[in-house]
Amino acid sequence: MNVTALLDTLLAFSESKLGPLWGPATYELVTSAVFIVLIVAPLMLCVAYLTLWERKLIGWMQIRIGPNRVGPLGLLQPIADGVKLLFKEVILPTNANKALYILAPMLGIMPALAAWAVVPFAPEVVLADINAGLLYVIALTSFGVYGVIIAGWASNSKYAFLGAMRSAAQMVSYELGMGFALVVVLMVSGSLNLSDIVNAQGRGLFASKGLHFLSWNWLPLAPMLLVYFISGVAETNRAPFDVVEGESEIVAGHMIEYSGMTFALFFLAEYANMILISTLTAVMFFGGWQAPIDSALFNLLPPFGWLLAKVFVIVSLFLWIRATFPRYRYDQIMRLGWKIFIPLTLVWIVFVGAWMQTPWNIWK
Amino acid sequence: MFETAVFYAFAAILLVAGACVVTARNPVHAAMFLVLAFFTASGIWLLLRAEFLAIALLLVYVGAVMVLFLFVVMMLDINIERLREGFWKNLPLAVVVGGIMMAEMAAVLAGRYFGVAPRPLARAADYSNTKELGRLIYTDYAYAFEIAAAILLVAIVAAIALTLRGRKDSRRQDPAAQVRVRRSERVRLVSMPADKE
Amino acid sequence: MLAEYFPILLFILVGLAVGVIPVVLGALLGPHRPDPEKNSPYECGFEAFEDARMKFDVRYYLVAILFILFDLEIAFLFPWAAVLGEIGLFGFVSMMVFLAILVVGFVYEWKKGALEWE
Repeated sequence: MNVTALLDTLLAFSESKLGPLWGPATYELVTSAVFIVLIVAPLMLCVAYLTLWERKLIGWMQIRIGPNRVGPLGLLQPIADGVKLLFKEVILPTNANKALYILAPMLGIMPALAAWAVVPFAPEVVLADINAGLLYVIALTSFGVYGVIIAGWASNSKYAFLGAMRSAAQMVSYELGMGFALVVVLMVSGSLNLSDIVNAQGRGLFASKGLHFLSWNWLPLAPMLLVYFISGVAETNRAPFDVVEGESEIVAGHMIEYSGMTFALFFLAEYANMILISTLTAVMFFGGWQAPIDSALFNLLPPFGWLLAKVFVIVSLFLWIRATFPRYRYDQIMRLGWKIFIPLTLVWIVFVGAWMQTPWNIWK
Repeated sequence: MFETAVFYAFAAILLVAGACVVTARNPVHAAMFLVLAFFTASGIWLLLRAEFLAIALLLVYVGAVMVLFLFVVMMLDINIERLREGFWKNLPLAVVVGGIMMAEMAAVLAGRYFGVAPRPLARAADYSNTKELGRLIYTDYAYAFEIAAAILLVAIVAAIALTLRGRKDSRRQDPAAQVRVRRSERVRLVSMPADKE
Repeated sequence: MLAEYFPILLFILVGLAVGVIPVVLGALLGPHRPDPEKNSPYECGFEAFEDARMKFDVRYYLVAILFILFDLEIAFLFPWAAVLGEIGLFGFVSMMVFLAILVVGFVYEWKKGALEWE
């Protein structure tokens, strides 16, 4: 392949210039940095256009047009929004704890980006091919709660504090559901590496007949898919689980005192998290980069294209849910997380575990 | 070479963060420094090739335990001045405890020089630390594993016994009961004879 | 193995940079006109009366503690799930015993009403 040859030339070049010790190290640093930029820059663009897509889609669902003034079809709207926020004042409230107040949005965005390090985009295309990928993803998604708590406390405002406490309790509750659901995925894949999890979904009775989409995890693990996806919606504090912001009761929750770019960071983090959860759902349950049917027609779209298509559909589902459901009451949210998802996932762990002990184990 | 440099960098950050945990005036700042300390500790474990433990440290301590710590320090209105009053009184005890801990740590760390602590072995690229642990915990160490379950059970019961207080003043809704309601329980249709003036 | 973790460290640093750069840019490019009214905490029109950091229902602590315990359970489940195909029936049964003990705790929690949100 061209890319491999190019990389080899680069490695040889840096070795010849910098010696056997520093050469490979510099090569590693430069290629990783380039790869990271190749992930982060398009991701930020996707986040920007996801906000536009959200407004358009919900507009259409409500028989409106949505943004259409800035540029053709409103396509420049996200850029206008970004530039506007850039030139707004960053307000520091008098009673706030300044250092933590500024730190909070950064803590919010860091895990939303860093989790992408282990996401496989296509066969063999992954930045960090670590053996504990799934564990890393769970650990990083559990950091998201810090941005919210610290923001709520540092703002020293009642609404912010109320929102932070609500969301912290909600996020940790739904992390459990997500964690247990991923344990089931791990059981059937037998590997913590995300590329291996995708590959494992391409094996089985149906896959050998070319019907890959019937071998993906969504079919045998359908309840876990539901638990994972709904927990993902709750984890990102999206409607109908958005009591954290709850416009009509606590105004904007933890973000209430934020303005300008500090506010924009929270916004970016929320949308980046949505895309991340959608990508992980595609990777864990919908075969990642695999084409649904192994035939020449379906293979016209490259693997990365398939992943993109799946992520787009799942992200749109987030928006559809927001347009459809009214907000849950807080006690209902906690009930769903603790009393329905956790027992359901525990039962499914036992069920799948027992299934795997029988001769009818389909995940050999 | 690189590893040694990284180790010293991480160790320095860890020590500074640890010192800040103790000296920070604001308890929330102290908690955040503790998060940083856990993060760097996890990096050091990773240098020892303890992949699973390093990430589990992040998952359990940074992702869960520190969230509880933050809850507590944020909501308990801790009076920092009052806490500082007891500093000199408690110092001798703290020095003794710290001294014992240091001696124990030194004994473990010095083990290398007595040939006790083995260095991590070089492994194949697809070697999975998590799987290796899995093969041992649930078979060879099954008893210890079940004891861990019992300890967790005790912790659940204790947490509930310590913190659960039924509140009399709150009005609560029972969604299940709300859903189960039938028309006949709420509305009574009474047939009245039509009035004639 | 460590070589694969290097990009992750780099990515975490880049993630922080993505957080820092916009804030710095915003602070440089935006106006800076502080005003006592503007900088006071938001309070639906009237003056803020007391410190915002109030005492909270103990239930939130309980949720956090229970979360830690279940998170530990997940940490125990992970290595098990990864090698379920290799450790055979014995490994499966030992995890079932583990889960059974913890389900006792979960049932206790449920019956005690620790999961009710009033």
